[in-house]
Amino acid sequence: MADPNVPQQPPAAAPPAESSAPAEKTQAAPAAESAPAAAPSSAQSGAPSGAPASAPSGQSRGPSSGGYQGNRGPSRGPGGPGGGPGGRPGPGGPHKRGKRNYVRKKKVCRFCVDRVDYIDYKKADILAPFIQERGKILPRRMTGTCARHQRWLTVAIKRAQNIALLPFAAEF
Amino acid sequence: MEERLYDLIFICRPDTPEAEVDKLIATLEHTVADKSAKIEKIEKWGRKRMAYRVRKLREGFYVYMSIRSNHGELIKELERRLKVADPVIKYLTIRIDEEMKRQQKLAKHRERRAARRPRKPAPASAPPAGEQTASAAG
Repeated sequence: MADPNVPQQPPAAAPPAESSAPAEKTQAAPAAESAPAAAPSSAQSGAPSGAPASAPSGQSRGPSSGGYQGNRGPSRGPGGPGGGPGGRPGPGGPHKRGKRNYVRKKKVCRFCVDRVDYIDYKKADILAPFIQERGKILPRRMTGTCARHQRWLTVAIKRAQNIALLPFAAEF
Repeated sequence: MEERLYDLIFICRPDTPEAEVDKLIATLEHTVADKSAKIEKIEKWGRKRMAYRVRKLREGFYVYMSIRSNHGELIKELERRLKVADPVIKYLTIRIDEEMKRQQKLAKHRERRAARRPRKPAPASAPPAGEQTASAAG
């Protein structure tokens, strides 16, 4: 309820929504280890081709304004075999030379972080990041919302649509 | 019948004079009072842009009411009035008391849990800090 700061928080607190999909694709891209400077450029070149499905709407409007954070991985690659605190050792877990290893940042439900007990359908600005440009509701795997909150969120969005606070579909 | 809480939102044409909106609100209030229900809140949100066109209009004058009633007929009557009223282009009534009950329950639950063990958030906040130092080092 009392959470006007929900849209502002995500860049810092909530992890990127689409980070998982591109991370897998670009993992194969050869890149010199211990070269953090090279990471951003290669990441950017890899992102458009690597994220075919989620790219168009997610980039511009999704909750992940942070977007793609490819340069996280190499920076801690050579030094830290202790394992990242937040990163789970996925399929490409063990560090190999010449391969980029990305820490898949764990997505956290934004409503759980803010301890939201009721998602208000009247606050369209809170709901807006969870719909695509075309008006579709973003799936849980993109936003990281937990099952319970996604359930509430869906209801709230549908109510907001009914009273013209949110669009059913894009116009034109 | 137990008491129920409803949200009622209606949208008027943007060119309606405010006096007419007030009149409409007054008649609704009167109807509510007739059925011995209670209006908890009335908010005039004013002219807002709608997310899509309704009756070829892009803007609308939003009015929000919160009504506590134990008489379902009241909602029927209110909706009938809104349907008949000329300036109203859209309305929505939602029953929300069950969700409010759930919210209160969850809040109470959380409070109780927080009281039982106060030092839960400390370990949760530690990992992000560690990660940041790791990335800074590399």
